[in-house]
Amino acid sequence: MTWPKLRKFLLWALVLCLIPATRYYQIDVPLLRFLKGSRPVDPLSLHLSGEFVENNLGTAQEPDGSVTVRMIAQQYLFIPHCILVPAGVPVHLRITSADAVHALTFNGTDYAVKVLPGTISEAQLQFPRPGEYKMPCREFCGAGHYAMRSELKVVRRDQFPALRPQERGNCAAQ
Amino acid sequence: MQRNKRRSLKLTGAILVAASLLLLASDNPPAQIPSLVAWTPETIAAASAGDTFRGMLLAKRCDHCHGSEGFSSVASTPNLAAMDKLATWKQVEDFRTHKRTSPAMEPIAESLSARDVADVVAYYAKLPVFQDPQDNRVFPQSRPDPSHAAIASRLVSFGDGERGIPPCQACHGPVAYRPGVPSLATQNADYVLNQLEAFAHRARANDINQPMRTIATLLTEDERHALAQYYGSGLGLQPGSSTAPR
Repeated sequence: MTWPKLRKFLLWALVLCLIPATRYYQIDVPLLRFLKGSRPVDPLSLHLSGEFVENNLGTAQEPDGSVTVRMIAQQYLFIPHCILVPAGVPVHLRITSADAVHALTFNGTDYAVKVLPGTISEAQLQFPRPGEYKMPCREFCGAGHYAMRSELKVVRRDQFPALRPQERGNCAAQ
Repeated sequence: MQRNKRRSLKLTGAILVAASLLLLASDNPPAQIPSLVAWTPETIAAASAGDTFRGMLLAKRCDHCHGSEGFSSVASTPNLAAMDKLATWKQVEDFRTHKRTSPAMEPIAESLSARDVADVVAYYAKLPVFQDPQDNRVFPQSRPDPSHAAIASRLVSFGDGERGIPPCQACHGPVAYRPGVPSLATQNADYVLNQLEAFAHRARANDINQPMRTIATLLTEDERHALAQYYGSGLGLQPGSSTAPR
C-alpha cells in the first residue's frame, strides 16, 4: 500500500472510531444495563411496587451475615437519608434513581457509584472500621446538587441491631 | 342436606381463617405506599386537561374556605391562587384515596369526578398572585423578625450542605419546580408550619419517595417557624438572597 492510500485509510479509521466515542453519553445507560444484565425499573413508579417501596429501603440483614442496602437517589436527596451498616461485613449496595443521573460517593474512601434512572446500580462495599462517612452526590443533578449529601454510619458488629428478615435498619431507627 | 351445607360453611370459614393467618405470618409485609400517583405522561395529561370555565363554576363551592380569589381567610387553610395544576391535582387525588387525611377534604374529594378535579385545578392555576406587596391578598401576617428571616432566606436559597438539606427554591420555585410540587410564594404561614410539623411527625406521609418527611425531620423547630414566616410574608415571590430583607 502506498503512503497516500495508507494515510487516507488511517484518517477514515480514526473518524469512524471517534464518532461512537463522542456519542458515548447516549449509549452508556443501555450499555451498562446490558453488561450488568439487570432488568429495567420504572423510575416514575418506584414507590408503588417492587424492590424500592418505602418499607424495603435501608439496611437488610442477609442469612450469610452480609447486609444489603437499598436506596433511592432523587433530586436532591438520597433516601434513606442516613444509612447504618456494621463494620467489617460485606455491604451489597443496590441503588436506583427516580429522576436524573446522580453519583453516590463516600468521602474518605474510593467508592463511587453512578446512579442512573431506570437501572439498578450495584456495588460491593466494605468498611473495616466504625466511623461516619458523608455521602455527597458528585454528578451535577440540578439546582440543589451542592446540598445533596447524606450520611453513612458504620458501627461495631455487636452494636448493629439484629434485624428480622422483613425489618430494615437506618440511623433514625436507633 | 342442611347438615352438609353447614359443614361446607364451616370448611369455608376454616379455610378463610387459615389463609388470613398465612398472609399475616408471611415474610413479605404489604408495601407501604405513600401515594397512588405516579407522574407518567398519561397522568400528567389527565391532570392538566381541565376546562377553566367549568372549573370556575365548580369552584364556587370551594370559595367558603379557599376564598373567592384563591386566598383563604383562615390562616390554616391553604391559598390556591396560581397553584400549579399538578400540585393541586395530586393533593385532591391523595385525599380521594385517603393517602392524605383531612376531615374536611376527604369527603369533598370523594364526591368529585375525575373531570371535576381537573377542571377545578385548572381554574385555580389561572388565578393571579399579586407581586406588589401593597396589594398582597394573603391572610394578614406579621413581618418575620430579622433573625428568622436570615435563617429562612439562607435555607431557601442555599439549604444546608453540612446536614444535607437541599434549598427549598430548587423544587418549590421560583428557581425550579418538579412535577406535583406546590409553589410556596404566597402560602399562609400557619399552613406551611402545620404541614412541616405533620411531615416531621409522620402525620402526613403522602410525599413520593419521602423528600419532605426527610427534610422536615432534619429542620429544627426554629427553622420550621422561620420558613413558615418567610413564605407567609410573601418573601418567596422573588428568588431568595443570602442577606436578610430590609
